[in-house]
Amino acid sequence: MLRYALRRLWQSFVTVFIVITLVFLLMRLLPVEGYFAESYDKLTPEQKEAILKSIGVLDPWYVQLRRFYSDLLHGDLGTSIVYRPKVPVREILAPKIPYSVAFGLSAIAISLVLGLGMGVWQARDKGRFWDKVWTGYIVFINAVPSAVYLLFIQLYVTQITKLPILFDRDRPISWILPIISMSLGGIAGYAMWMRRFMVDELNKDYIRLARAKGMSSTAIMIKHVLRNAFVPMAQYLPTSVLLTISGSIYIESLYSIPGMGGLLVDAIQRQDNPLVQTLVLIYSTLGILGLFLGDILMAIFDPRIKLERRGGSR
Amino acid sequence: MSNEREILEPVEQQDLFTFAKFDEQAAERIGYSDYSYWGSTVRVFMKNKVAVSLLVVMIGLLAFTFIQPFLPNQKDPTKIYTDPVTGIQLRNHPPSKEFWFGTNSIGQDLWSRVWSGTRTSLLIGILVGIWEVCFGITVGALWGYVRQLDALITELYNIINNVPTTIVLMLLTYIMRPSFQTMVLAMCATGWLGMARFVRNQIIIIRDREYNLASRCLGTPTYRIITKNLLPYLVSVIVLRMALAIPSTIGWEVFLTYIGLGLPLDTPSLGNLVNEGRQAMMSPSLRYQLIFPSAVLSLITISFYVIGNAFSDASDPRNHF
Amino acid sequence: MDAPILSARDVVVKFSLRGQILTAIRGASLDLYEGETLAIVGESGSGKSVFTKTFIGMLDANGWVDSGSIMFEGKDLAKFKTEREWLTIRGKKIAMVFQDPMTALNPLRTVGMQIQEVLELHQGLKGEQAKKRAIEILDEVGISDPAMRYSQYPHEFSGGMRQRVVIAIAIACNPRILICDEPTTALDVTIQAQILELIRRLQKRLGLTIVYITHDLGVVANVADRVAVMYAGDIIEYGTVEEIFYDPRHPYTWALLSSLPQLGRKGSPLYSIKGTPPNLFTEIKGDAYAPRNPYALKIDFVKRPPFFKVTPTHYAKTWLLDPRAPKVEPPEIIQAMRAKYRVSERDA
Repeated sequence: MLRYALRRLWQSFVTVFIVITLVFLLMRLLPVEGYFAESYDKLTPEQKEAILKSIGVLDPWYVQLRRFYSDLLHGDLGTSIVYRPKVPVREILAPKIPYSVAFGLSAIAISLVLGLGMGVWQARDKGRFWDKVWTGYIVFINAVPSAVYLLFIQLYVTQITKLPILFDRDRPISWILPIISMSLGGIAGYAMWMRRFMVDELNKDYIRLARAKGMSSTAIMIKHVLRNAFVPMAQYLPTSVLLTISGSIYIESLYSIPGMGGLLVDAIQRQDNPLVQTLVLIYSTLGILGLFLGDILMAIFDPRIKLERRGGSR
Repeated sequence: MSNEREILEPVEQQDLFTFAKFDEQAAERIGYSDYSYWGSTVRVFMKNKVAVSLLVVMIGLLAFTFIQPFLPNQKDPTKIYTDPVTGIQLRNHPPSKEFWFGTNSIGQDLWSRVWSGTRTSLLIGILVGIWEVCFGITVGALWGYVRQLDALITELYNIINNVPTTIVLMLLTYIMRPSFQTMVLAMCATGWLGMARFVRNQIIIIRDREYNLASRCLGTPTYRIITKNLLPYLVSVIVLRMALAIPSTIGWEVFLTYIGLGLPLDTPSLGNLVNEGRQAMMSPSLRYQLIFPSAVLSLITISFYVIGNAFSDASDPRNHF
Repeated sequence: MDAPILSARDVVVKFSLRGQILTAIRGASLDLYEGETLAIVGESGSGKSVFTKTFIGMLDANGWVDSGSIMFEGKDLAKFKTEREWLTIRGKKIAMVFQDPMTALNPLRTVGMQIQEVLELHQGLKGEQAKKRAIEILDEVGISDPAMRYSQYPHEFSGGMRQRVVIAIAIACNPRILICDEPTTALDVTIQAQILELIRRLQKRLGLTIVYITHDLGVVANVADRVAVMYAGDIIEYGTVEEIFYDPRHPYTWALLSSLPQLGRKGSPLYSIKGTPPNLFTEIKGDAYAPRNPYALKIDFVKRPPFFKVTPTHYAKTWLLDPRAPKVEPPEIIQAMRAKYRVSERDA
């Protein structure tokens, strides 16, 4: 188990390294406008040259990459150029992180509880009324782009319930809608997978034996199906964390939440390269971390996973 | 079991107790069932009333989308209309006889823009879908068949798959200039992964499953194993992928447009229209600009999603009872 | 003879499949006597499994008992509707051992827990007590070092060991009837013998009544007291194991025995039954076996034969036993068997 965890950790580490390097190199392909705080056209070629030289983007790429890594190791994430000129990215990020973490975690918690519950409910009532209702919900959420239905939620739910339309850190009531919005996709995802995995388990031979033992359907559900369905579920968990991350980018911006997601949208719109780069790195690392945790979780749940490699199993 | 000998009704024809002729064909004739894979697939699909009605609606809608520009009295989606009397742009003109879906904030006809946008978005979806299927199958086949490539592609897959798709898409469209090509390219870069993995797994199953081993031992040529044992699996997943490519590309497009990485404004697309509508949505009288494109968009995405899944379910032999 | 412990009468089981109705069991009747071992034989699809599944209410969701009765302890199991009713029978009074031990156990729970579950369910044992009993049962079914094995997972057991665990689960509550659905088919030949021996030992000690479902006539000859032959959802002949093996009366039983490789003679081709079993989706007129039966009479195509009594323990459903029917000599192989048997009987 420990060996498996360590190997998986090392693997994730390598992945992070490759992703960071790739992102860094890709960002070098960008046109140089992104490095100027003032209007690009107003500058003389000499001024441009001087500015570019001062931030070091004229050096060969490997020099830049080495510098980037050495800075990274010292905790230096670079300096914002357009968003808040000359302010270190770290300073911009620091106050944003708690918001993103708070929203993200509450959304994940809510979607886990409601989603799993809904999936169990559906598996139990398979083919009956409530299964169909929740399947309808899942189809809607999966099919209609979140960017569309979330707009309507923001528009009409605020009207009906008088909830505030934008986030305001001093009014706890304004937290409700963004968190619900962030959970909707996760609920649908968890419910869909939970239902599928439980139905899969219900069709297995050992369920037949459990029935032949004289266990009631309820007992079989709780003691056998539920736990076994959790194993593949554990693997899906982090994938849906990725979804929550994706969702949060849009929702934070939609509700003006001062988190990292909203910041990323701002940074992209203003073409602030160092800021975009840092945020992309953070989100990628989160994704890799999520999948790593999922694999570990699954190994804990399933005694059969004996360190064998599950290459490309996701 | 004390079944006493049953008394036979007066048997008029004594010759009942003579031997019947053994008819070898009668003995063989009684096969199990007249099962046909595609027949059952179609039958199971047809049972799904929701999917069938959506399919009908979708065929109608798609046909309309593509013939709409050739119909009489259609307006130019990019032309800015002005009031013939005052010469002022017909901005935010509510839905009327003249402009069925109204006009947008600069006086363009929303009706023709919606259909033009649908064409653009469907084109993206179809291109990405085709790429996904072709490239996905190629990579999947190499991944599954060429053992030397297995480790390499697996690593590559793990790296790409570890990063949230949103981030990859944002990064790629950010680096390239916003355009139709950029959009298609970025989505093509991420979409094939799932397909490739599926094909790879199928091929490994095909290679190792006993029924395939058995049919190989019986001298079945490889092409026959592929067409009879692999293709039915693949056709369903190809259809599913193609069908799901449309809702997912439309979704990404709306999202990318929102963060400012979408198509140029002079190309109407569902993403652009929704985004325009969003900017107008705070004033209730202009909300139609959001509602019309969103309604068409939702109808399309839901239909493709439901039809794709219904077909995929119908093509699963386990559902053929 | 004593009153039967379980008595199934004219059981009809139907399934709805692809929009059609399939009649899997067409009025089969069977008596089961205390302490005996009855083997139900027949080819795949003859309905052996389905028939016995009705005894513990475990038909698949698309199947149901259409008519007939299954009397057990004064209750008609065919009338059972709710799960609550079945829970008083399943695992407690009638237990079942399945074919494939590799998939029959929950891979994520320890073997011990899976046995303990039944004990807690039906015997009200709790905690340490249940654990102690579970370990005892593991020992009883011949698993060495049961205390250690108790906390292991199924994937740490071999196929034969897993089948022992499945048997342990089945006998944990001292059921009256044990149904073994092809218990050895998925196992190696050497393991097969061990498992059969184990079941025989447990039967003796616990006084079990056992129903074997199998298509392996070798197993039947080894373990059974009585044999029932099934064809196309009906029991067409039953009798003691000697009667069925040495004096079979139904042409299908002849064919079945003739196709045993052990009975074939060197040099002559192995016998195989011509044709295929009937399509159960359509209504079968007369004797289901008639189209494949070289001895078929015209009446076989018109009217279904009743049971004809051969001896008080031996009945067969074939018109050939009717006094009006022409005399038919069984195939040579069967005659040879019979002769051999008579000789051995005389010697005995």
